[in-house]
Amino acid sequence: MQYERQNPAFYALLAALIFMSVGPILLMFVNSFKLDVDIIGGRTGLLFLPTIRNYETALCDVLWYEPDHLDFCSLKFGGAFINSLIIALASTVITLVIGCMAAYALVRFRFMGRDTISLSTLMVRMVPPAVLLVPVFGLWNNEFCIDKATMVGGWIRDTFGGRGDVCLAGTHSGIILVYVAMNLPFVIWILQSFIVQVPRSLEEAARVDGAGPFQVFFKIVLPLIKPGLAAAAIFTFRIAWNEYLLASALSDRNTKTVPILIVNNMSEFNVEWGVIMATGMLLAIPPIIFTLFASRQIITGMTAGAVKG
Amino acid sequence: MPQIRLQNLIKRYGHVEVLHGIDLNMAENEFTVLVGPSGCGKSTTLRMIAGLETVSDGEIFFGDQPVGHLEPKDRGLAMVFQDYALYPHMDVAHNISFALRLQKRPKEEIKAKVKEVAEIVGLTDYLQRKPGALSGGQRQRVAMARALAKDSDIFLFDEPLSNLDAKLRGQMRAELAIMRHRVQKNMIYVTHDQIEAMTLADRIVVMSDGYIQQQGSPEELFKHPANKFVAGFLGSPPMNFLDSELIDLEDTLYAAGEGFRIAIPADKAHALRQSDNAVTLGIRPSDLSYAPDAPPGLGLDLEVIVSEYVGAQSVLLCVCGQANVTVELKSETPIALGETLRFAVRPEGIHLFDRKTGTAL
Repeated sequence: MQYERQNPAFYALLAALIFMSVGPILLMFVNSFKLDVDIIGGRTGLLFLPTIRNYETALCDVLWYEPDHLDFCSLKFGGAFINSLIIALASTVITLVIGCMAAYALVRFRFMGRDTISLSTLMVRMVPPAVLLVPVFGLWNNEFCIDKATMVGGWIRDTFGGRGDVCLAGTHSGIILVYVAMNLPFVIWILQSFIVQVPRSLEEAARVDGAGPFQVFFKIVLPLIKPGLAAAAIFTFRIAWNEYLLASALSDRNTKTVPILIVNNMSEFNVEWGVIMATGMLLAIPPIIFTLFASRQIITGMTAGAVKG
Repeated sequence: MPQIRLQNLIKRYGHVEVLHGIDLNMAENEFTVLVGPSGCGKSTTLRMIAGLETVSDGEIFFGDQPVGHLEPKDRGLAMVFQDYALYPHMDVAHNISFALRLQKRPKEEIKAKVKEVAEIVGLTDYLQRKPGALSGGQRQRVAMARALAKDSDIFLFDEPLSNLDAKLRGQMRAELAIMRHRVQKNMIYVTHDQIEAMTLADRIVVMSDGYIQQQGSPEELFKHPANKFVAGFLGSPPMNFLDSELIDLEDTLYAAGEGFRIAIPADKAHALRQSDNAVTLGIRPSDLSYAPDAPPGLGLDLEVIVSEYVGAQSVLLCVCGQANVTVELKSETPIALGETLRFAVRPEGIHLFDRKTGTAL
């Protein structure tokens, strides 16, 4: 095969882009194996004695042995990791379930205000999350609470412990709810474009074959928009996993996520760069695994052969 | 099993009425073909029978039971779609058995049924393939098999062959005819192709502009079209129409126009004497034959413009006055372009229509 000769500037641009995207990750990877002294000392060469001490510090609460250099395990990475997993997975699943049904309704059903709703889903997406922060913080702390004097509130307090009224603030559910609200518009918008491509006659054929509305949706439409679901899942999971701002305000000591934990390593006296880099590397692993798994579902030409083109 | 009866069926989209009171009785196990040009309402009628379109007015009966309000899944029919509508994420076997699996039939029964149906349509070797890996004709067979597997009493076909190339269409048409003899069920078939209609149908229903123009057996419609539309729609090449006046000369009624005068057989003439003089004369291309010495009143003088050689037959495009006339002839007949030749008209092949209303006289 004959390749066209490209302008050298093209390769230069490519190299620059690759350096820009891979560089920071490489830096983080290298620094995560250095001691803080080496990092701050400015000897940024590649010649250093690699150490796993940073990782030991980061993972101190899940390790089976006690690292020598630590007197006290202050970093609860394991707990935060579980919190992050719960929050990211739950918000992804809920967003997808609600999103695909909403998108299907918006595409296939005719009802009053359909176009307005379809458009406003995108408009909601335009609101920056920071704007949500203050009102949501207020609502989660003061409005959406169950009085501890009531039966349900009392039961929850007795079962799960804690003081004061039962509020959404500081719970997994509170954060999950915000993430679902934040990601839903975009997911609906993405899935709409996939559902439009499912030939209507397929649904008609299924209806004639004896399928009810839900069977049509779950047995015909859903399998065909798998690529869309995968794309939406990657998108939602990534946002929920990395989100910092809302989580920092809405989580408490027991529900904080990994991004919050990383920032907790900074204090006015000391920035533990090595540990931050190590935690950052660990933070990056689950989304990569998730993306690899989800992207295998993205196969083009899902509807090939359904109808005569 | 049941007869299908449409009673004053009306379809409106908003304020636009597209079907104007369709009345139709289909006998038990009859193969009914709805035929007409695009947009005549034939597909809408079929989709209303299937339950995919709502009924605006009127009623549909299967036997004695009104079904107009039922969901498609409750009507117990099978349908073959124009674009096949195969489920792309299922292999052929699963496509065929989809309806059976929805009914939660036993596994062995489903397996046996799939095997049986696959044999009928000749798909046994392809059961594990996805629709994407099949050719157009094979996909069409899968669609057919899926309908057959359902054991319905009523089969609906929505232009099933229109996506196939000409050769395959002829082959599938023949297979459909064979299948039709094996499976004695009510079948309703929509097509815009009059050859499909003529070859397959027990009863043809010709539709146009949301009305039924005429219904009956293929032969009946071909020989005695009720109006000019039906006459022009059925038959290939289509019937020739010549504007003419009725003239009474020496006890013989003639249809005369620019450059021709054709005697009308006595049995038809009697009824015609009462009607309006302005008529349209209709002659099928196959009812004209080359006859240089045809007596006056029984022949037409035509100027040959184009000769289309199609094998055993030649189709001549000729001119008579202002009108174009098509003639179908045996290819051996020696014809030179630009010549004016004389053609005899078969007396039984004379059709007359009211020029204003188009109804047959």
